[in-house]
Amino acid sequence: MKPAVGTQFRLAPRMMTRERMRWYVDIQETVQQDTGRIVTQPPTIHDDDAYAKKQGLPGIISDGMVSTNWILGLLVDVFGADAASKGRLRTKYIAPIYEDDVVVACAKIASALDNEHGETVYGVEVWCEDGTGKKLTVGDATIHTRAH
Amino acid sequence: MAVGRYVTDLDKGDVLGPLDYTMSRFVVREYCHANELHQDCFQNEVRFAPPTLVHLDKLRLYKHACPAGTGPTARVHYEYDATIHAPIPVGVPLRVKGTVTERYEKKGRQYVVMEIDLRTAKDDQPLITYRDTVILAYKQGAAS
Repeated sequence: MKPAVGTQFRLAPRMMTRERMRWYVDIQETVQQDTGRIVTQPPTIHDDDAYAKKQGLPGIISDGMVSTNWILGLLVDVFGADAASKGRLRTKYIAPIYEDDVVVACAKIASALDNEHGETVYGVEVWCEDGTGKKLTVGDATIHTRAH
Repeated sequence: MAVGRYVTDLDKGDVLGPLDYTMSRFVVREYCHANELHQDCFQNEVRFAPPTLVHLDKLRLYKHACPAGTGPTARVHYEYDATIHAPIPVGVPLRVKGTVTERYEKKGRQYVVMEIDLRTAKDDQPLITYRDTVILAYKQGAAS
């Protein structure tokens, strides 16, 4: 069933734990070296309190890409693999996310148009908010879907 | 040109790469696991990578073009903007190149914008055009 314009989707709230932040740190060298094992890296603002404070931060902060990937996950839940296959995703990190902050990934269908290629092209407003509804990450997505 | 030393040196016009590599299933599954992307297409019969993995191509390019490392200040990621032309295939040689398109100051902080072009190495098929914006230092004036 095609999602209607105006429909809103939300993932369950997640805490941005120290572990979740570190997973994105550990994956960076692991991806680049691609040895089949996890490869760690020197301290970052995402996993080392002292280093983060030295950089003028009150403590470790999440890499924005964690939020972006949670939004992508929501889009894949709604649109399937099409959400990762053709279109656009833009996210801007407008507020820092600190350890144990609550994060909710959200999406709202802004437009849906059929094109000459047999696709429906969705425009989607996307964002992450905290437990009070304050927006932390904002953006938009364009998703080309085909009838399967 | 400001390549060859620190990431904080990068300036408009700098070209990073191109670099060739092949996306493996291990990389896709581990990246998706780290980001809690547990959908079937990312964990089981993996044929393509999530488009967000292009973010780590930035680090691949930094490592190649800026071998001395990050520099005196840590970067903060500010914006991700990826246009997906086609799925990123697994097991196919890929080519990635970065071009620094802007470096500017706003409210005392230095911003760097890099456009990253990811395509297949053999037939030059465009896969992702990614515009990445970073702040070079959280402390105002620290990287200027």
